[in-house]
Amino acid sequence: MTRGRQVQRCSTRGTAHQWLSVILAVVMLAPFSVWAQTGPTVHFHAWGGSAQVNSYLSWVSEQVAARHGITLKHVKLADTSDAVSRVLAEKAAGNHTRGSVDLIWINGENFAAMDRHDLLLSDWVASLPNFALTNPSANPAMVTDFGLPTRGQEAPWGKAALVFYYNARYVDSPPQSLPELLTFARRYPGRFTYPLPTDYLGVSFLKYALMSLHQGDHAVFNQPVSQINFDRLTAPLWAFLDALHPLMWRQGDYAVRQASELQRLMSGGDLLLAFSFTAAEIPSAVARFDLPPTIRTYAMQDGSLGNVHFIGIPYNTSVPDAAKTVVNFLLSPRAQAEKQKTAVWGDQTVLDLQLLSEAERAAFQPESPSPAALPADAFSAILPEPHASWTDALREAWFARYGQRL
Amino acid sequence: MMTRFERLTIGLRAGLLVLLALPVTAGLVGVLLPALGYLPALGQSAWSLSAFRALFDYAGVTTMMWLSLSTGLAATCIALCGALALVAVFHQQRWLQQIQRWLSPLLVLPHAAAAIALLFVLSPSGLLARLVYAGESGALPPQWGVPYDAHGISIILALALKELPFLFLMVLSVLSQPQMAARVAGYRKVTQSLGYAPVTGFITIILPILYPHLRLPVLAVLAYATANVEVPLILGPNNPPTLAVAVVHWFNHVDLSLRFQAAAAAIVQVGVTLTAVILWLVAERLIALLWRRRSMQGRRHSGVISITAMAWLTLLSVILAGITMLGSTVSWSLATYWPFPALLPDALTLQHWQTGLPEMAAPLRNTLALGLAVSVTAVSVVLLALEGQQALRWHARHRWLHIDAVILPATLYLPLLVPGVAFLFGLVWFQQVYFADVVWLPVYISHLLYVLPYAYIALAVPYQRFDQRYVQVAYGLGKSPLAVFLHVKLPLLFAPVLVALALGLAISFSQYLPTLLPGGGRLPTVTTEAVAMASGSSRRLSAVYVLVQTALPLLAFVLAWWLPGRIFNPAARHTVKESKL
Amino acid sequence: MSLALQQLRIYRHDTCMLSLDCCIAPGEVVSVTGPSGSGKSTLLNVVMGLQELPFRYDGEIMLNGKPLDAVAPHKRNLGMLYQDPLLFEHLTAGENIAFAVPPAARRGQTKTALRDSITAQLDKVGLGDLYTRPVQTLSGGQQARVALLRTLASKPQAVLLDEPFSKLDTTRRAQIRDWVFATLREQQLPALLVTHDNDDVRAAGGRIIEV
Repeated sequence: MTRGRQVQRCSTRGTAHQWLSVILAVVMLAPFSVWAQTGPTVHFHAWGGSAQVNSYLSWVSEQVAARHGITLKHVKLADTSDAVSRVLAEKAAGNHTRGSVDLIWINGENFAAMDRHDLLLSDWVASLPNFALTNPSANPAMVTDFGLPTRGQEAPWGKAALVFYYNARYVDSPPQSLPELLTFARRYPGRFTYPLPTDYLGVSFLKYALMSLHQGDHAVFNQPVSQINFDRLTAPLWAFLDALHPLMWRQGDYAVRQASELQRLMSGGDLLLAFSFTAAEIPSAVARFDLPPTIRTYAMQDGSLGNVHFIGIPYNTSVPDAAKTVVNFLLSPRAQAEKQKTAVWGDQTVLDLQLLSEAERAAFQPESPSPAALPADAFSAILPEPHASWTDALREAWFARYGQRL
Repeated sequence: MMTRFERLTIGLRAGLLVLLALPVTAGLVGVLLPALGYLPALGQSAWSLSAFRALFDYAGVTTMMWLSLSTGLAATCIALCGALALVAVFHQQRWLQQIQRWLSPLLVLPHAAAAIALLFVLSPSGLLARLVYAGESGALPPQWGVPYDAHGISIILALALKELPFLFLMVLSVLSQPQMAARVAGYRKVTQSLGYAPVTGFITIILPILYPHLRLPVLAVLAYATANVEVPLILGPNNPPTLAVAVVHWFNHVDLSLRFQAAAAAIVQVGVTLTAVILWLVAERLIALLWRRRSMQGRRHSGVISITAMAWLTLLSVILAGITMLGSTVSWSLATYWPFPALLPDALTLQHWQTGLPEMAAPLRNTLALGLAVSVTAVSVVLLALEGQQALRWHARHRWLHIDAVILPATLYLPLLVPGVAFLFGLVWFQQVYFADVVWLPVYISHLLYVLPYAYIALAVPYQRFDQRYVQVAYGLGKSPLAVFLHVKLPLLFAPVLVALALGLAISFSQYLPTLLPGGGRLPTVTTEAVAMASGSSRRLSAVYVLVQTALPLLAFVLAWWLPGRIFNPAARHTVKESKL
Repeated sequence: MSLALQQLRIYRHDTCMLSLDCCIAPGEVVSVTGPSGSGKSTLLNVVMGLQELPFRYDGEIMLNGKPLDAVAPHKRNLGMLYQDPLLFEHLTAGENIAFAVPPAARRGQTKTALRDSITAQLDKVGLGDLYTRPVQTLSGGQQARVALLRTLASKPQAVLLDEPFSKLDTTRRAQIRDWVFATLREQQLPALLVTHDNDDVRAAGGRIIEV
């Protein structure tokens, strides 16, 4: 250590430490100055695993700051249930007015959980001027979330349906139905997988498989699980999965935790077939080089699971008005058109285009299609989401059968 | 008579103990209560062991415990053996400084960044596979067992790679302590004059004397390796994962009743870590016994070949890992399309940086503000506490000095030895009840818990080496202790203080769990974002995050090394040149 | 047995700080004296092969007629005694000596036989009951004796002494000094002593080189 000696040799500088200590004091206090901020701050808890969604929300932040003076902070979640459990914990701890979550992006099971524990503000959605543009009276999907009525607790944000994509560099003809999927897995062992059922896309795959195995008998899935013979109905599903698992990536022993990992594995060629709920994210991932140019998107011939995703406001937010203003902006034609652009996110709008002006409608016209994009009219049939109780039931049965994964 | 300044420093020394011990103890209580069924906020206030019963009914729990234990022990063992082999072989050779220079960047690399970078190398479509399949165009990526392998080999690799430089630099730091350095130099000469090869002399004579000073850092590494979350989260299996990862999942589960099971698992995690420590200590004794017997056989060259081979193997693997990790991360961050098994991307683009950097602006601000605040506080507190040690020596009774010498090191290592996954969750519980809308303060405190010990370790040695004659001369000139501290010690210790600040920054930058939990995810930093991105869809964007994560602490250290020589002390520039001659 | 330093010149950077030419006969103790900073200790490091930059030397070092210059320090068969006894503090007094016994010298010897022979050596210098004593508990004089026994146990061909008595108290010093030189003579070992104490030089009785 020669440095110590060097320093000892040199002269003492009197003033250096004086201004140094001023800097130190300022630096130590700097983070706390955040408390002194003005204007409402809205914490939007939303899954943060997609670059497109993240950059779209950055755009939204700029817009609401400029238009309404609201600071929108995107809290990027690895798993939406983290935010749900946070609100629940706050309620348990008696924090009823100073919640940390002001907006939450949910649907399905997370909504069902928040609804069950009364964690959301209710009856505010109809008061948003832009909500009328979704034409809820003609579109029951706008006020129904996995069979549950939304009761004004959450506003629709976007629409999605399950699409599949494959790497055409290696695969000529992708499977068009569930039985063909098994044939595909035999031909290309280890090149397909689906996320754990704790993930939204993972449990969606189970629902798709279940409904596909019960062609022409979908009415039963609108009922709560308690009212039907779950074991009998799901028996074919387990038989199918038992056959599929050994042919999956890592023999099904390691399942990805999140849907986004599927795309990462598709990118390198580890997987040759995957699926997604947002058709437009695939061509845009190709454009961003995150997927190879040989990726092609399509919909299964035996039906595609479809649903709507929503935005809720937790009951204990300290900024309900600012949160509603943000949601109203998210439902505006401007924001919805931006969101539907393939280059941005490509999430389908929930607005009824018939209710918009000519100029507004023009903004929704598709740009020139990429070869990786889903062809027009690709969907042969939309399978509506089963009742929300199916999610938990399928998940529990899956874990009981295939062991706990975390 | 004690001056007010001396009183302050002694008070702060005591305050340091409280600052370290109180949150850890409170956190442990906060996690022990729910583990025993007491959590009134969730409507449970009857004591019971049902949480533990539920935990042990859980199918994979023994595998989880074993995985935590085995990966932690193996990683620590590999890191320690590698570090010791390097020192044994290259000690007092000019190579050593080179190695130190090569390994230092790995030291400041956050664990999460190292794990993600290793993912880029090891995964079946990663660099390693591309090297193996180079030229076979049309080949599909192989289906080999790492990462995510059931035995946690990828976890072991990442942890060993990360901890090796730390232990290596700790060994060097112990060897450079003034008393130790003189003794070691003498022993080296004696063992050689008795005919022992330098490597043999090192392991038989110097190692037994060195190791006791190394024990606490080694145990801290072991505790970390058995209980950390981000490395097994990124590289580990999930059927089942390590215990710490399970704890985090259960705590964050929608089903709040799982919190009891999570608390029980956190307590079991403390047990697992404790078991690892006990096993380690027992193994230490056994090895010491065998070692001593072996060293009495008088063999002059025992271990020379194997240890030299081990040192070179370690050096080569660390360098190779460093180069491939950096190479593939940089390539991914700039890559357009990159089909398998091409070694290089089709073309380069700055697009991912252009997307990533603006997104990172807010987390970057948080990271820097938090790091600066924490690191400056920690270094200030530690400097005053070290000054308090001097004041104690001048004024206190012998008994107090003795108590101080026993309690301080133990307390210092408390936050490093108790698994964060246990006490941080307990702290979060208190925080949610009492400080629900405060975000910065809890994160600031939990970061301090991790930065303070390292700041103390980093400054204690320069403080010890500080020539007390300067102080005596200054006292002789009639200066007060405060004046001596401000006008003599601080300027003379400027360089080590800056290094400690940089170390504090690096440690604060790299914290994952202590940022995520107390902040409730409301305080995103580059590290929490990078871990979230690791499971995201874009390898390229993830690479950008890793590089920024790596650049930050590196920048801090470069500044710390560069500033004292260049800006504040023009005289030092002259000395640097002179000493190079 | 002999130790020869032929035309030895030691340089610091490019300045010659010491030059020397002598051959030490078996049983002879050659003393090197001079003011501090004259390179006395560096001389011993050079002979041992442990010199570091900026020191270098030319000339030749021969042990029993063979040049040592290309031989690694630990293979030179040179014993060394320092002003600090430098006993290994994690070993007992006896173990310190046992550690020095080369494998060739213990071939065919059982552990107890080795121990007995070391105890006998200790006994000869009045330390018979100290085999199992931790070295920290020994007095300065006792440590000095263990240190010499340890050096001799490694069967050196020559011995280098670097102010070995300077840290002993004056009453013990003469006694230990006489015993060390007597032992070296008795074992017919060539020895090179570096010191600035005239009593040492006188007791050594060999040639004196001033630098």
